[in-house]
Amino acid sequence: MSGSSFFGIDIATRGLYSAQRGLATVNHNIGNITTPGFSRQVLEQRAARPILMANGTGMLGTGSEVIGVKRVRDEYLDVKYRTEAQYLGEWDVKQALLEELQVIYNEPSESGFNTVLNEFYDSLQRLSTDPSNPSTRAALKEKAVMLTKYFNSVAAHFEYMQNDINEIIYAKVQEINSLADQIAKLNQQIYSYEVSGNVANDLRDQRGYLVDKLARLINIEAYEVSYGKLPNGQDDMRFVITISGKALVDHNKVSYLTTIQRENKLNEEDIPDLYEVAWADGNRLVVKSGELKGYLDVRDGNEGLNGSSGFRGIPYYMRKLNEFVRTFALTFNEGLIDINGDGVVEDVMGHVDGYKLNSKEGDSAAGIRFFTMFDENGKPMSSEDFAKLGGGDIEEMYRHITAKNFSISSEIYEDPTNNICISSAPGEVGNFEVLRSLIDMRHNPYMFREGSPEDYIKTVISCVGVDGQLAMHYLNNQTAITQQIDNRRESVSGVSVNEEMSNLVRYQHAYKAAAKMIQTYDEILDVLVNRLGV
Amino acid sequence: MRITNNMLINNMLSNLSNSLNRVSKYQNQVASKKKISLPSDDPIVASRALKLRTDVAEIEQYKRNVDDAESWMEITETTIMQIENVMQRARELTVDAANGTKTPEDMAKIKAEIEQLKAQMIQLANTTYSGRYIFSGFKTDKALLDEQGNFLIEVSDDEKMFYEIGIGDDIDVNVVGCDLFHGGSKGVAEGTKSRLIGTFDNLIAALESGNEKAVGDVIADIDTEIENILRVLSAVGARTNRLELTSNRLDDDYINFTKLMSKNEDVDLAEAIMHWTNEMNVYNAALAVGAKVIQPTLVDFLL
Repeated sequence: MSGSSFFGIDIATRGLYSAQRGLATVNHNIGNITTPGFSRQVLEQRAARPILMANGTGMLGTGSEVIGVKRVRDEYLDVKYRTEAQYLGEWDVKQALLEELQVIYNEPSESGFNTVLNEFYDSLQRLSTDPSNPSTRAALKEKAVMLTKYFNSVAAHFEYMQNDINEIIYAKVQEINSLADQIAKLNQQIYSYEVSGNVANDLRDQRGYLVDKLARLINIEAYEVSYGKLPNGQDDMRFVITISGKALVDHNKVSYLTTIQRENKLNEEDIPDLYEVAWADGNRLVVKSGELKGYLDVRDGNEGLNGSSGFRGIPYYMRKLNEFVRTFALTFNEGLIDINGDGVVEDVMGHVDGYKLNSKEGDSAAGIRFFTMFDENGKPMSSEDFAKLGGGDIEEMYRHITAKNFSISSEIYEDPTNNICISSAPGEVGNFEVLRSLIDMRHNPYMFREGSPEDYIKTVISCVGVDGQLAMHYLNNQTAITQQIDNRRESVSGVSVNEEMSNLVRYQHAYKAAAKMIQTYDEILDVLVNRLGV
Repeated sequence: MRITNNMLINNMLSNLSNSLNRVSKYQNQVASKKKISLPSDDPIVASRALKLRTDVAEIEQYKRNVDDAESWMEITETTIMQIENVMQRARELTVDAANGTKTPEDMAKIKAEIEQLKAQMIQLANTTYSGRYIFSGFKTDKALLDEQGNFLIEVSDDEKMFYEIGIGDDIDVNVVGCDLFHGGSKGVAEGTKSRLIGTFDNLIAALESGNEKAVGDVIADIDTEIENILRVLSAVGARTNRLELTSNRLDDDYINFTKLMSKNEDVDLAEAIMHWTNEMNVYNAALAVGAKVIQPTLVDFLL
């Protein structure tokens, strides 16, 4: 055997094949430099099985052989990346949405709440210096409309935003299901390939990439578990993805998530029919992080009220606006306010205690409420209809007012000249004692728990500002962490052009040399066969 | 650590984007002249900005109120001075009539002039300022006195108009008719004869009778009225004085608070432009270096 004439050509051929496979691997790597999720592959090459020489001279090498193509990947970094990507997804969403919330408030600016409230009080002051003038009265009405419209508009924007987020949640759930589907299909394919002892490098990369995407969306854990032994003795590995302990993907089976419209609102401030996210089999889904958590928190977060998360989201800010308009209207209309901070509400002069401009001696107080709300037709409600809502209970009456429906009463709307009631006695057009009481309220630090009206809104704006700043910090940290892990992963699995070029040159030379070997044997055989001829 | 091409590109991109973010931040600052554009940029600056804006807006309101109060009190002061002039003239005439050398014709002439002065006094009592009767208390749409000098309306001391000229700082701007025309009384019912006009009536009656002694007796009453007018006038003067002080203080406050506001939220333009230029340089350098680094590989040298 050792003397076989073509033995050398066989070795050289193996060399050609190995170099060829090497070149193909280089080619594959270079072709996938920009493929997301791709891990570089390296040739696994070894010396072929040697031949034992019968004459006792030892082993004779038989050249090289390729035993496989390996994917270079650090699974630990995958797990780490996915853990961090969940928080990156969550804070990315929260940061963007909190910025949107701040834009809705439009503060500090020349057209935000502060300006509107300042102008309202300014017009009250102007009225005090000319109480009987129809034009100062008309101006007050316009400024009051502006004030109510500000709240209507902010509330409407919050509702749009909540609705948009709700739609996004629906889409994200579909995306999670679709990713789970694709992963399950890949699992099946990978399994079929690998059951026969192959390694499905590129499919595994594809799956890894999909799992990375899924990890941004929701808190998942992804791992391979052994289901026992295959007939050939290898472990029967199957891939599983769980969300809070329950399997989303179990090898080639998927448990889907679903969205169900809520029958009962979680928060009083919510728009109706928001989606509840759950397992399609009816189990409760616990979302702990990921983009989905970000959207859910902003949509539902009400400082932990009603079982919502502790996050301050849209319902929280809606509630704050509603609380403001309710208390403001109650105080302004009824004059019910805690004057000295002793916790007891005093009854000072409010707008209901005022007399009309055209009242005559002997008339009683007009009992007109300045602020009411829109009725179901979107028209300002009259003071009387508004009072009926409470059924005698003043607190209950004002509970119907929201930032969305906040309005001036139809009386003020229709005839501000007569129906703005700032006089404390009938028939006195220069009397603005009620107005003085209304103006005084502005500086009452006990009007709200947070202080005066400005203090209240200042607190809300600071709150959204601080939350926004916090979200920004979290996002920056999380971006840095995720990027660092991704870089480490890239460092292990990424394709380096220089490296591939070196390999290219290496395999090219190996190929050339092996070819040269064939040529050499060719020449030897030529001498042997043709020149030594008989 | 193994460095790959994608790592270089990713790092370059993220560095460029960070750098560009800072460029954009300073660009915004220069364009808007504001330190922040969202509360989250700096919540403390934002909440201070809200507070200061309210303060400035309030000071502006108080300034306007002070201006209105000043106009109202100016017209009040001028009117009371005219009233005093009328009374002084009446006193002169009365003293003249009482000195015992007057013929009945002289007395008739003096009486005629006194009657004119009375009419003028009633007119002054019904002085209006932009359509509002200034001495009618809260009933600014109604005249104070009729042609005989009877009160047309009930007026009382608590019909004082307070203008707010500072937080918790009110000033009453009007003089209530009963105070000036009814000897400083706290209130007067509708139909009551004004004491001041009553004095004129007594004087006219005395002049008509031609009794110099009776005419002389009225001088004391006239003096009482003049004293009352001067008392009211000095009170108005004191309040005008207070208004002036408040006005000056508000002007100072306005300057201080707008300064504070500007300091809090306005950007130092020179500083912002400097930062911008600096960041722009960094950005340019990063671009140049990045472009050089990501280009060459072995590929470029393998031909």
